[in-house]
Amino acid sequence: MTLVLQLAVAGLAIGSVYALIAIGVVLIYKCSGVVNFAQGAYAMVGAYVSYALLRAGLHPVLAIIGCMVVLGGLGSLTERLVLRPMLKAPLVAVMMVTLGLLIVARAACLIIWGPDQIAFPKVFPEGAISAAGIFVTYNYIAAGILALVLSFGFLAMYQFTRIGLQQRCAADNTRAALAIGIHVSNQVSIAWAMSAALAGLAGTLLATLNGLSLDLAGIGMIAFPVIVVGGLSSLFGALVAGLLLGLLQSFTDGLLSPVLEDFLREHTSIYSVGALQQVVPYALLVLMLLVRPQGLFGRRGTERV
Amino acid sequence: MRLRHAAAILALTLAGALPARAQVSVCIWGTITGPDALVNGMSYGIRDYLESLNQTKGGIAGQKVNALLLDGRYKLDEELKIYRRCVDQENAVFISGWSTGSVKALSDQITQDGVPFITQSYASEVLDPKKFPYIFMAGPTYEQQMIIALRDLAAKGGKRVVIMHADNEYGRGPVNVIRQSGVVNQLGLQLVDTVEFRYDAQDLTAQMLRVKSRKPDMVYIQASTPQAIVILRDAAKAGLAGKLFIGNLYTISPTIPEQLGEAAEGFRAIQAYQFYGTDIPAMKQIEAFGAKAPIEKKDMYYMKGWMEGIAIAAAVEGAIKQNGGKVPADIKQFREAVRQQMEAQTKLDDGGITPPLDFSNHQGFVQARIAEVNGGKYVPVGDWIDAR
Amino acid sequence: MNTRHLVIAVAVALLMGALSLAFGRFGAYMVNAVAIAGIGALSLNLLIGYGGQISFAQGALLGVGAYTAGNISNAGGDGLLAILGAGVMGAIISALIGIPALRLRGLYFAIATLAAQAILEYLFKILDPITNGVSGLVIRPTTILGIPMTSDRSLVVPSLVILVIVWVAVSRLMRIDLGRSFLVLRESEIVAKGMGIDVAHAKILAFFASGFIAGLAGALAGFANRLASPEAFTLDLSADYIAMIIIGGLGTWTGPLIGAAFVVLLPEAIQRVGEAAGLSDILSPLRELAFGLLIILFLIFEPRGLTALLSRLKPRSLAVPAPGAVPATGESLPP
Repeated sequence: MTLVLQLAVAGLAIGSVYALIAIGVVLIYKCSGVVNFAQGAYAMVGAYVSYALLRAGLHPVLAIIGCMVVLGGLGSLTERLVLRPMLKAPLVAVMMVTLGLLIVARAACLIIWGPDQIAFPKVFPEGAISAAGIFVTYNYIAAGILALVLSFGFLAMYQFTRIGLQQRCAADNTRAALAIGIHVSNQVSIAWAMSAALAGLAGTLLATLNGLSLDLAGIGMIAFPVIVVGGLSSLFGALVAGLLLGLLQSFTDGLLSPVLEDFLREHTSIYSVGALQQVVPYALLVLMLLVRPQGLFGRRGTERV
Repeated sequence: MRLRHAAAILALTLAGALPARAQVSVCIWGTITGPDALVNGMSYGIRDYLESLNQTKGGIAGQKVNALLLDGRYKLDEELKIYRRCVDQENAVFISGWSTGSVKALSDQITQDGVPFITQSYASEVLDPKKFPYIFMAGPTYEQQMIIALRDLAAKGGKRVVIMHADNEYGRGPVNVIRQSGVVNQLGLQLVDTVEFRYDAQDLTAQMLRVKSRKPDMVYIQASTPQAIVILRDAAKAGLAGKLFIGNLYTISPTIPEQLGEAAEGFRAIQAYQFYGTDIPAMKQIEAFGAKAPIEKKDMYYMKGWMEGIAIAAAVEGAIKQNGGKVPADIKQFREAVRQQMEAQTKLDDGGITPPLDFSNHQGFVQARIAEVNGGKYVPVGDWIDAR
Repeated sequence: MNTRHLVIAVAVALLMGALSLAFGRFGAYMVNAVAIAGIGALSLNLLIGYGGQISFAQGALLGVGAYTAGNISNAGGDGLLAILGAGVMGAIISALIGIPALRLRGLYFAIATLAAQAILEYLFKILDPITNGVSGLVIRPTTILGIPMTSDRSLVVPSLVILVIVWVAVSRLMRIDLGRSFLVLRESEIVAKGMGIDVAHAKILAFFASGFIAGLAGALAGFANRLASPEAFTLDLSADYIAMIIIGGLGTWTGPLIGAAFVVLLPEAIQRVGEAAGLSDILSPLRELAFGLLIILFLIFEPRGLTALLSRLKPRSLAVPAPGAVPATGESLPP
């Protein structure tokens, strides 16, 4: 039982980071129809920027805010310089250009910060809670809660504020939004900026948990199963599906794989099921596409033909 | 016309790539930017030793050495391409190669090409002087390293063993050999679980919880420094102590205690070469070289590379002397002579980095000891033992 | 026109053959790599450029081909049989991946192929009896029609022959009704239905044909590397292939080969130039940077790729319009 609880805590913590990444992807998709492969790159760059700011002696709160500002700028810059000229390009070209961005960001970080892992400066107090057999470090709790609070906060802003309203208008119906005087292309830039800032924050939180390295960019790929499961156009879906996949991966690693392997080792010549948690999200993705292509929280007909 | 254009590009590229012929050429590919970059010291070590010969002795037996260091990036296709460049274009007389996968993929071709090859991977399958007469290794195999750790546990009265390894050839290969050999049971131990993880894994918290639920007395890590950092960090998250863990040769890096601090205390690893900075004759040479050029990685792997450089240079020197002080004109002949000279080395002094090297069995030496992280530094615990 | 395509294809192959002789073993290896990438790019261009179905599973499909060919050849089968077997297996798996395309369109299907890539990669790692797991399947030098393929140079011949056949076959395919129906599909499924095209049938055939060619390329790659390993057939490889057809020119006849040559040779060119310039230390990231930047710049400034760029440089050249070539820009392609 304690194992289950511990796995749940670990899964929720990482899942809330997935949610932050996936919310960013959905946000961009809703507004501009672009599926962004470079979300992981924003997370990685964000973590490196936070690292640089922390090393420069900034207070952690200021460093994180600074990182979100820098990333927001990068996000809207990407939109202006790269995506806007490609407004009418075919889908494959748009997907590929975001992949190109990912490659460039990785190479740039490699040149600036080198290939080796870097220990991330302490942001949260050290120590751990140990109760009823459960052991959780403060760092874990802080990162998980922060990611969760920010996800909900962002959803609330999107729902209840003026900028959120404009965003929703621009995403729902471009022409209508234009007609009532919303500057749609500005809204698209804002969406990219917010999305990149969220990813930068997610990357920073992840780095406090897992250290800083180029492989942080890999987290962007998890966004695809998450957004399909949650529904491509649903921010709330991305949040729920992010948590769900975090839990699923954690339980796969901690419970399913060992049980499966124990069974297989007992009864067959198969010894290992390999890195099963890598493929579980994709299996779920395929299942979802076959059973309910609009996702858990998506609306039917949002599939753009 | 555009086809002609493409052809022109092709021709230009290849023409630009025409080999620059040096008399003695040694080719090293490591992983300057791959996931393994933290332990790339040996690539620099070999290059720097050969460079130091150029600076102090005018090369090997009076011949300047061209030591070419390339970046395989731990990518198989890149490594296979580099191998062909080294054999065909650089006319390398000795090659040092990196990943376990690439060495296995190339093992037959190395024999076919007859080029002396030192592998930085300790995979036991390629250590076979009859089948692979051109492949050399310098240190105990991964399996031998694991057995040292297992013996230590048995001597201390432990019982339950968990092995963690990466999901590639480097990780799974040696673990399977050990598992199927039954050596764990022979030592009176019990292998309670093996846990496989992605080589570029960033978060192994759930795996560590799994390990914890198996209540191990020892967890062996068949992976390298970057993965060991993830494991030890997440072990701390799960409340597992560092002293439970022991890693192979590629988990001795100052980076581990530097990055992990408290979480690394008590972590042990297999040591086969003297640490950087030990008071031995080789270190004096290194320091002299370091006064003129920056040393990229100041760690044990650099020492290993320096030692391999010594062995390679000695074999090449022998081959040139045998030919009356001239470099053999035919590269095939030269390579064969170098191979024979390498095998003929039975008491090579490497300035104290290891015991005298003996390459007649292609392995150099097989002794190792266990080192433990104590107060942020690796400290040897126990004596050098023969790993056979 | 068709004869002209044949002549050009043969001429290019002969030229590549000559280059492989002129530049030694390394040159032969690179020519072989370009030919294999060219075949793979032709396959993907058929699917994406002509058929409008985005796939991120090309890398894994090549893997399917390599494993199949390796197993057949290692079991004593002739290399030719192995290559054809790889084609058939590639076609079957590709058609399986394509089945969801009957229901899913555009973006959703593209994401589904990401899943296919991930699942196949995972299967490569755990299906030990067929793939030898993470160790990779060592492929012993094969013999084709009794001729042993032990050197890099000998392997260039089958690669170039297959390249010519595939190249001409694709151009031929795009002149018959089936090929033309792919183009209609790319533009609009509704129009295709209205024209009486059996959409499901045509889509599956596009996957089948593309998968067959991908299997051939995979087989040749397996023989060249003498190893089929999960690490060689990752999403990165899929991305490389998409980059090839985009840089070369989406939906054009010569684009895939030009793009393949460019993507295979560019890193090596940068490497050698960089070494000469004394930049060895940062060459790997520079190579990545250049690759990424080129993708971005091409997509923004010359979305029709090198083919268009070259023909603009030489406006009076023998421009060979691709059968049914449509500019890759514009709203004409699926969203």
